Amino acid sequence: MDFDLSAAQKKRYAEILRESGTRLGEHRPDGDPDAVRRGFRTAAGIGVTGLCLPEEFGGGGLGALDTALGLEAFGRGCPDTGLAFGVAAHLLACAVPVRDFATDDVRGPLLKGLASGELIAANAMTEDEAGSDIGRLGVTARPVSDGYLLNGEKSWASNAPVAGLVVTYACTAPELGFLGLSAFAVPGDLPGVSFGPPLRKMGLTNCLAGRVTFTDCHVPRRYLLGAEGQGSGIFQHSMAWERAALFGVYLGLMERQLAQCVEHAGRRRQFGRRIGEFQAVSHRMAVMKQRLESGRLLLYRACWLLDEGREDKSAIALAKATVSEAAVANGLDAMQLFGGLGYLADSGVEEQLRDSLPARVFSGTTEIQREIVAKELGL
Amino acid sequence: MAQDEITERISAFIRDRFLDGDPQGELEETTPLLELGVLNSLNTVLLLAHIREELGVAVPSLRINPSDLKNVRSITAMVRELQHSAV
Repeated sequence: MDFDLSAAQKKRYAEILRESGTRLGEHRPDGDPDAVRRGFRTAAGIGVTGLCLPEEFGGGGLGALDTALGLEAFGRGCPDTGLAFGVAAHLLACAVPVRDFATDDVRGPLLKGLASGELIAANAMTEDEAGSDIGRLGVTARPVSDGYLLNGEKSWASNAPVAGLVVTYACTAPELGFLGLSAFAVPGDLPGVSFGPPLRKMGLTNCLAGRVTFTDCHVPRRYLLGAEGQGSGIFQHSMAWERAALFGVYLGLMERQLAQCVEHAGRRRQFGRRIGEFQAVSHRMAVMKQRLESGRLLLYRACWLLDEGREDKSAIALAKATVSEAAVANGLDAMQLFGGLGYLADSGVEEQLRDSLPARVFSGTTEIQREIVAKELGL
Repeated sequence: MAQDEITERISAFIRDRFLDGDPQGELEETTPLLELGVLNSLNTVLLLAHIREELGVAVPSLRINPSDLKNVRSITAMVRELQHSAV
């Protein structure tokens, strides 16, 4: 067992960290769609939008672990966690299923656009009545000549307001329950696709999210991902990548946050000494470090298993739950360490907490991750 | 492992865990598990974990499709096929 990163991994990590810090380190998220599009192009310039896409289409050709390391470096250097999250969701929930399941007719051009950041993708699964349980999707896809007719509404799709491509799932066979789904990569400019305005939300400001509506939208067969009825398996595959690798962004956030806390505790003085000398402060930071490192080991291992072709749902669920819970707990601790300063918006500390809270909900709630772990235990 | 034994072990698990023991003895090899909602996404994780632990067969996620999980007969056939391909 070797816990060291290779020289190549360290070099790539350092480059992404340096470039994201230089180009996006002062980035202040304001939810402006044009700024988000520019952010995607900047991320593409750093190589993050295509980390795990084939090199022949402009990607980095990396596996899950190296992708997670790249996203960690990006999340650490770029304090705009909404942008980092949007880029990671674009890559893992959308480009990965296109990479692995798109037809030859569309795969190359789509991957090229996705890797370059010019084509932004949104993953549209969630519906008003379908969250954790995807067995009863309301969006339907009816086979017609040379394709499918999509109808229905997705209630939440990250990146949708800036998306040129929507990876979505629709019911093609209601009698087959949760396996009656099919997956599609739908170009956003097809007639019958409409996007709602950006949803107002608590955090991840520069990850614009919105509703997507399909109204008699004719999707040519070449945009079907995999086979008809394979949607559920494709979704599980994309979620395996997302749950394992996306949370590298949050490892990066926690690294940056802990460094800020250490710096603050070493500088600020009260009662005649540095506050870091009070155990109430230093032990809190030791626990923050403990959470970060526990999450890191679980996440690296889950990604490594994915790269080994060993599908371990339990390992992925443990990593996802641990890192997201750690991000929230560390966010609360950082708020307390910074005191009144942390409550001020300009400090960035309260923003880190707001950006971390949704991590326990998206990509499968902590509760669902625990269900998966329990089921894998045979309970 | 013989086909009958695989069928019986999978049926027994489904009866016990998803059908309250199936007191009326309604589960058959061709009972449509997806159509009736006996298998949902979480139950399927449990069933596949059982198949992995008890029958030693890891089912890859792309085999989680309607033709392989339709009923006990198709699940048995998939397990047999994966057993043979692993040898």
